[in-house]
Amino acid sequence: MEERLYDLIFICRPDTPEADIDKLISTLEHAATEKGAKIEKNEKWGRKRMAYRVHRLREGYYVYLVVRSSHGEVVKELERRLKVSDAVIKYLTVRLDEELKRQEKLKKRRERRAARRPKRPAVAATASGEPSAAAL
Amino acid sequence: MAEQDTSNPQAAPLAAASPAAPSGPPAATGPGGPRPGGRPGGPPRRGKRGFVRKKKVCRFCVDRVDFIDYKKAEVLSPFVQERGKILPRRMTGTCARHQRWLTVAIKRAQNIALLPFAAEL
Repeated sequence: MEERLYDLIFICRPDTPEADIDKLISTLEHAATEKGAKIEKNEKWGRKRMAYRVHRLREGYYVYLVVRSSHGEVVKELERRLKVSDAVIKYLTVRLDEELKRQEKLKKRRERRAARRPKRPAVAATASGEPSAAAL
Repeated sequence: MAEQDTSNPQAAPLAAASPAAPSGPPAATGPGGPRPGGRPGGPPRRGKRGFVRKKKVCRFCVDRVDFIDYKKAEVLSPFVQERGKILPRRMTGTCARHQRWLTVAIKRAQNIALLPFAAEL
């Protein structure tokens, strides 16, 4: 089965201490490795203002994880843990590998086109670039 | 019309022959005014019929975007109204494909409170 890539963002209460958040991340990492997945990236975006109020809170502590796995069971487990945790007020998991694959495909196609006709696209690009620059 | 009728009797005692003179200057500025000040932006120039609208170009196509990231709220926010509505294609000029990606990205961003669903009271 092919590898899947997930984005996992969760928001903690802004008053949770850093140590608790670090602990939470490490437990999530443990749970993920137990299920045979890998957390490729973990970023703490820190306290950010939310676009709307959640649990009467205006701010939240954002944490961003990238999970690579061969099956979807990991997401179930991670979401269960986030749901149980008191500090977490919101979370979102997005499967991204298919979109990234599409991105790769489009990129490749464009490169191939550029390689096939090296002259004309360049001329067209400069010709179309100048009037738009002048208009702006 | 009512204003002219009231102003004319006041001007009449001063000079009965001059009502044409005070009405002259405003009439001269009237048609002259809108023409220079009317359309300062050159591009929508007046043809025989209506306007020639400046063609809107998809911003994502210009930048060759293959993937619209829902995590970058600052990229998405120009395509959302103040109240939180997603702007239609006809307003922003986004192409069909990118608009499709954009709506998905905006909805994801809304879910994680990066963009509002609706403006707060």
